[in-house]
Amino acid sequence: MSARSVEVLPSDAALEFLDFGGDVARSPLQLFWRRLRQDRVALVSLGFIVFLIVIAIAAPLVVGALGLPGPDVQNLNLTDAFGSPLGPSLAHPFGVDPLGEDVMSRVIYGTRVALEVGIIGTLISTIIGVAVGMLAGFYRGVTDTLLSRLMDVVLSIPILLLGLGLAAACSVHGCAKGLIQPGLGTIIFIIALATWPYVARIVRGLVLSMREREFVEASRALGASNTRIMFREILPNLTAPIIVYASLLIPTNILFEAALSFLGVGIRPPTASWGQMIAAASPIFTTAWWYMVFPGAALVLTVLAFNLLGDGLQDALNPRNAR
Amino acid sequence: MRSTPTILATAAAALAALALAACGSSESGSSTATGSASVLSTAGYQSPATESLSGKRGGTLVVLQESDFEHLDPGITYAALDYPVVFATQRPLYSNKPNSTEPTPDMAASAPEVSADNKTVTVHLKEGIHFSPPVNREVTSEDVAYAIERGLNPNVANPYIKTYFNSLEGIEQGNGGPIKGIETPNKHEIVFHLDESKGSFVAEALVLPLTAAVPKEYAEKFDKNKPSNYASYEVATGPYMLKNNAEGKVLGIGYVPGKSATLVRNPNWNPATDFRPAYLNEIAIKLGGSEPVIDRQVLEGTNIVQNEPVPQSGVRLAAEHYKDQMDISPGGGNRYIAVDNKVGPFANIDLRKALWAATDRDALDRARGGELVGTVATHFIYPTIAGFEQAGGAKGLKVDYNEHPEGDMAVAEKYIKLAGYPSGKYTGSKPIQVVGASSPPEKEDSEIVNQTLKNMGFNTKLTLVEISTMYAKYCGVPKEEIDVCPNVGWIADFADPQTVLNVTFNGKSIEPTGNVNYGQTDDPKINAAMTAGETVVGRQARATAWAKIDDELVEQAAAIPFDWEKTPRLEGKDVHGVAMIWNEGAWDYSFTSLK
Repeated sequence: MSARSVEVLPSDAALEFLDFGGDVARSPLQLFWRRLRQDRVALVSLGFIVFLIVIAIAAPLVVGALGLPGPDVQNLNLTDAFGSPLGPSLAHPFGVDPLGEDVMSRVIYGTRVALEVGIIGTLISTIIGVAVGMLAGFYRGVTDTLLSRLMDVVLSIPILLLGLGLAAACSVHGCAKGLIQPGLGTIIFIIALATWPYVARIVRGLVLSMREREFVEASRALGASNTRIMFREILPNLTAPIIVYASLLIPTNILFEAALSFLGVGIRPPTASWGQMIAAASPIFTTAWWYMVFPGAALVLTVLAFNLLGDGLQDALNPRNAR
Repeated sequence: MRSTPTILATAAAALAALALAACGSSESGSSTATGSASVLSTAGYQSPATESLSGKRGGTLVVLQESDFEHLDPGITYAALDYPVVFATQRPLYSNKPNSTEPTPDMAASAPEVSADNKTVTVHLKEGIHFSPPVNREVTSEDVAYAIERGLNPNVANPYIKTYFNSLEGIEQGNGGPIKGIETPNKHEIVFHLDESKGSFVAEALVLPLTAAVPKEYAEKFDKNKPSNYASYEVATGPYMLKNNAEGKVLGIGYVPGKSATLVRNPNWNPATDFRPAYLNEIAIKLGGSEPVIDRQVLEGTNIVQNEPVPQSGVRLAAEHYKDQMDISPGGGNRYIAVDNKVGPFANIDLRKALWAATDRDALDRARGGELVGTVATHFIYPTIAGFEQAGGAKGLKVDYNEHPEGDMAVAEKYIKLAGYPSGKYTGSKPIQVVGASSPPEKEDSEIVNQTLKNMGFNTKLTLVEISTMYAKYCGVPKEEIDVCPNVGWIADFADPQTVLNVTFNGKSIEPTGNVNYGQTDDPKINAAMTAGETVVGRQARATAWAKIDDELVEQAAAIPFDWEKTPRLEGKDVHGVAMIWNEGAWDYSFTSLK
């Protein structure tokens, strides 16, 4: 972040710090980190998320190190005479599912799907949202009207129904000449489509007020192009709210994936997904509680961690917005 | 084929001619279901095949039922769950005793008489059978004629009349009015004139509830409504009737949709005319709730039964703690993996045999709930259907791919090599479409089959959808070119083997939509054998002829059968439940009693 943007960061932040430490030579990043460090809850959440990311990336290694079978290794010998799966044991700490697949192994691999959908989906919707929001807020007029109405239209789409419809219609042969195939890609696409207007609206509002600020005028007086103003002057100042919003969008998206998979239109089996596991577990909850409890706990903890981290980021980046 | 919670497709294709020896022969009353002891055995649990039919008179039976009825009108009903009420209140010309799959004369006085040219069927009716109040009068042959005629009334729209009675003269013109081919020479005789030699086939189909008498002068006004609301005022001929008021109104009294149905004794029923003992005084059916909770209530309760497929948790609970309160009925239909015989890799017979060999049928059955709810299938004609023994009984045809229910990759590799893949693994790169159902246990079975295909080298695309979507949009639509439907099944309407094999594997029955020849099996030799089989006369001869076709289907590996279903039902502590072996083990209220 450039030195100039210090002056446009919420100036109270700098003042507060001045009062506090008496040392002006710290960058905004340092300021942010100092404040976040004091937020234990956010730090623990951050630690948990880092842990999840490591697990997701190293899933095969983790599963191997724990001596568990792969996530789609079926073994019907691990079901009883009634076809009910066996519960937690030393060999299978989270028990097995009705196919005799190891639940712990599947929960670990499910982390991949959750994070992929959560992070990639959010990244895409954030990029689209920021671009559209900046254009609308910066150019105003017809551009703004058109883009804002587009956002309204997209926001009015019942997105869970769209997801259900798309996934159902495109489930076997795919849609649009095979371009839309069910599975991870489609889920991410639906999620990005559904959530970018939220980002765009926020960005648009911020840009609208920011483009009138003195530093933008100064830049314009120096002959800077629109592109330069947007990307070099305004965008850096949007970083904080965008990070906060994105961090809150991630858990929403993870839940959305779980919901779609729960409804049977998300991730295709045998790929492990928490939502799908919870769905499959619900009819047999009375005989196999572990099949629902462990993926459920993974989902709850992950979503909670992202939400708490998001709150922490918000506090650290915008100390004015006391919550 | 009846619609059941797991099978929703209906036979759209008309069944071809079937020549049968007159049914209801003298031994039919004492006959029991077909099947070797091992397959019919239910591991010490009560079975309708061996259940005592005697009981104590009196009392009220409470039935807890999660789902509402589909149709209680005898002219429309076609669901396993509706039949217990329909067959306790209505008497078709012929009926099955609970432990039998061979018809017994019911409204009819004797076996149907089929003319030498197989074009006329004559049935004599019993005398002294009366409709329940408010109609009260004696049943005549005209009431049976009207019952069948109204099946063609668009307001009634019977789902199977065109399948089984398509040879009746003038049926094409029928719209609810008289059908040219149905004649009633006197009050107790009805004659069916056919324009094809399908008399024996029609005779066999007289066991369907469509032939239960409906009084024209009373029902006509209801049948004018669109749809007909005769069910809201229906009268009975059986030992029980839906409780009604003086005008005959049932709706809101004997049947409250979504809440309850109440069967009381039919005061006009004459036991001398019926084989049903009708021990119970009243049957109070409570609708709603959830099956796992119902199971527990029934097992811990008295005077109470449930009447729907029991989920795994209920079977387990009963087996562990209430062993003598579970009744297990064999003959719940067959289940098989349908593979596209026409397009794609499985057009190759060796790849079909390879999949058969590789399939772990034990695992598939285990995932469905284990031995109490199914037996590993080795061919298509299932226990209780004539021809089961002739087709090899439990063991089936002796071919190497059929010998290892636990799956044998070595045999599979042999056939993959024969198919032209020298490595013993399939090496085609095009992904194959696998479409299964998303609910248990079909979901699990689909995933097991998917894994088997992968082990064989196939690149699969597995999609799980709602079971009704699976049939209606994919497995029943040939142009979708689904390579593998891991979990389709079939339940016959009556126990003739033709009803199991003909529409499901006859090339002539392939339809663009609603197709039930899921794998598009169209083998000239099998088609010819079926055409010949349709005209075979005599139960034994028919069983043998169709068992040969079954063998042929196994030799062709037309599909991969893996399960002959058994259906458990639960009863309260003091209930002597008698289940219908011909109707997926649903309770027969006319034979069930309280201890």
